[in-house]
Amino acid sequence: MGKVKIKKKSTLIDMTAMSDVTVLLLTFFMLTSTFLQEEPVKVVTPSSVSEIKVPEMNLVTILVNPEGKVFLSFANDADSTYSNEKMRAELLKNVVAEYNDKRNANIQLTQKQINEFAGEYMFGQPIASLPGFLDIEVMDRKELRDPASNPNAGIPISINTDLTKPNEFQMWMSAAYKTSNQNLLAAIKDGSGIAIKADKDTPYDVIHVVMDNLQTMKMNRFSLMTALKSGGE
Amino acid sequence: MAQLDTGSAEKGKRGQKKQSIHVDFTAMVDMNMLLLTFFMLCTTMIKSQTLQISLPSNEKVDKTEQNKVKQSEAITIILDSEREPNTEDGQRGKVIGEFVYYYEGQPVIDDADKDGILDANNMNEIAFEASKGGEAQGIRAVLHDRNKQVIEKINLLKAEWREKKINDDEYQDRAKEIRNDSNLTRPIVIIKATPNASYETLITALDEMQINSISRYQIDRINGTDSLLMMDIKAKTQK
Repeated sequence: MGKVKIKKKSTLIDMTAMSDVTVLLLTFFMLTSTFLQEEPVKVVTPSSVSEIKVPEMNLVTILVNPEGKVFLSFANDADSTYSNEKMRAELLKNVVAEYNDKRNANIQLTQKQINEFAGEYMFGQPIASLPGFLDIEVMDRKELRDPASNPNAGIPISINTDLTKPNEFQMWMSAAYKTSNQNLLAAIKDGSGIAIKADKDTPYDVIHVVMDNLQTMKMNRFSLMTALKSGGE
Repeated sequence: MAQLDTGSAEKGKRGQKKQSIHVDFTAMVDMNMLLLTFFMLCTTMIKSQTLQISLPSNEKVDKTEQNKVKQSEAITIILDSEREPNTEDGQRGKVIGEFVYYYEGQPVIDDADKDGILDANNMNEIAFEASKGGEAQGIRAVLHDRNKQVIEKINLLKAEWREKKINDDEYQDRAKEIRNDSNLTRPIVIIKATPNASYETLITALDEMQINSISRYQIDRINGTDSLLMMDIKAKTQK
């Protein structure tokens, strides 16, 4: 019996091509995608045939969850002299000043709290509870933002047509008027700058409250955020 | 871990050393895959769409100055959703079914024998349906029928645009012109939603406006007459 010689094969695989492919894919994903921004509530937007894209900049997003909790986020165009952080800081100062004036309250914010607020992408807290909220560490705020664990979350809103006694939502929106830069202001006026983002199961009366508030604020042109319908016409 | 293998150093004919250089890319691939997974999980490629609408402002308008909608042109769509009973903590139940009703012109209420059942009711129940084989169905067919003249013209324009006779901007401008042409018979659609109606039905209704090139529509509040007609229909269909 002769010995069967087992050939010793090298197990080295040439990974160069593989590496090429992954780098290509990586580049593709990095260029085409945008980062997910964390929102306090998850909503599934309804689908429509409209093909107008949501602008990335110069947009005020009003997020409405099915229970009628309202959250806001502001994005102006990336202007180095007036960044979103600066705008949010200005916004907060304006809102608190108006709140103190209209409600006879006395809310004072420290510079640290204002800086903390500038880092919040989307917010929805009653103004009275803002200082307490901003004192908490960023990582621990998630629970307070979510209306499922904090029933107080969300900007208080109700039907109100008397602008001398604005509700908190109206205060935020009028502060947005005052603090936004030219481009955001123009976008708000022509209707592309305000988007309502709501879950598809949200009852109409909840949406109506938001729309009615916007109408009262004379922001009667706005857009509704939808997802693209597959199939379509 | 990158190795530079300098194996098989054979002596060449002219005494030159032939070196083969193998770089091990395994680690590189590992890292790329990790980055790739990260980007795939943390980013989104879907961009939301928007539907632009404009509503009248809430300022008090003098009733006499308000444009009265011509009866023959008006068509009212009423949206409603059926929901599961509310949950214990007072949240709205899930949407089970969606209903669409419409009537043309003024609502008709006639209960001559006063038995609580309306004798005449010009409200109809209908549904949102996708087109089948190019034929419009459901509410789309109704709206399509009312806006025939505009749609025909738009379709002609679309054909021109497909054949590249006109560019995009020109197409948009002319389509807008046709939609707002007062010489054509165009309907005015009034969309009303019940408090329970889901946001999705509202969007679908607004979508239908776009599909049927209807330029004049408004979102209005539901009134007593509408709910009466709706209840009447529901009572009759249950029998």
